[in-house]
Amino acid sequence: MEITQLIQGFLLIAGCVFFAVGTLGLFRFPDTLTRIHALTKVDNLGLGLILLALLLGVPSLAVGMKVVLIWLVALAASATSAHLIARAVRSQDRGRSEGRESHD
Amino acid sequence: MRTVTTISGRMILLLLVWWTLTEGDPSGIGFGLVIVILVTAISVRLFPPGTARIRPMPFCLFVLFFAGRSVTAGIDVARRLLSPSLPVSPGFLTFHLNLPEGGPRWLLANTLSLMPGTLSVSLDGARLDLHCLDTRDPIEADVRAVEQKVARVFGLSLEDSAARAGGKE
Repeated sequence: MEITQLIQGFLLIAGCVFFAVGTLGLFRFPDTLTRIHALTKVDNLGLGLILLALLLGVPSLAVGMKVVLIWLVALAASATSAHLIARAVRSQDRGRSEGRESHD
Repeated sequence: MRTVTTISGRMILLLLVWWTLTEGDPSGIGFGLVIVILVTAISVRLFPPGTARIRPMPFCLFVLFFAGRSVTAGIDVARRLLSPSLPVSPGFLTFHLNLPEGGPRWLLANTLSLMPGTLSVSLDGARLDLHCLDTRDPIEADVRAVEQKVARVFGLSLEDSAARAGGKE
């Protein structure tokens, strides 16, 4: 029992550290696209570690599957939104370089 | 026959999701059944049962591969962020995918977004624009390796892809 709690604690702390580092990426990276790299990848790992910690202490199979479902949905949402933001940034940049005088 | 298998497979999957969401509580099952049927109908409209079908065993291997690579990705970006010199050299790369349209391409694009150093920017037909955190990394080899794995998940063979990719460079 104690060993499980120790592992859980370690995973939770590691997860939080990764979330913190991902947020640091917002400040350190130079532009929107590199910031998305930080937010999707590092936060994805942080979330994975936290959910792994929670999985070690689930009361029933259904709750465990709910945790896994949360992870899957969060993954899909993070990949999709990263893709959408990246596409928006790209088309905005392209529009700016094509007609610089028309908008800004 | 194939359509029937696909539809019943989707319904079982959705029922499982409903059971998970309600944490196994049987009182909401009537409402759940209505929702499951509606969602299945919508999913068949949006994603008609196609030729590309997911193979269970390669899919499990793919999930393991994906989990391993996303851990690498997180650690890789964290390492770059924490090193004082901030070792990144971002840039765009364009690839021509050999995968068929629909599910396979979509899976590849989304997987690459969570893999080390790559982010899918736009998927236009067979043309995939990637944003890379470090263009000095061997991105091309990585993308082709993931492409092969995605192909295996859908039971496709991409034997000509290696030759074509090699010929292009």
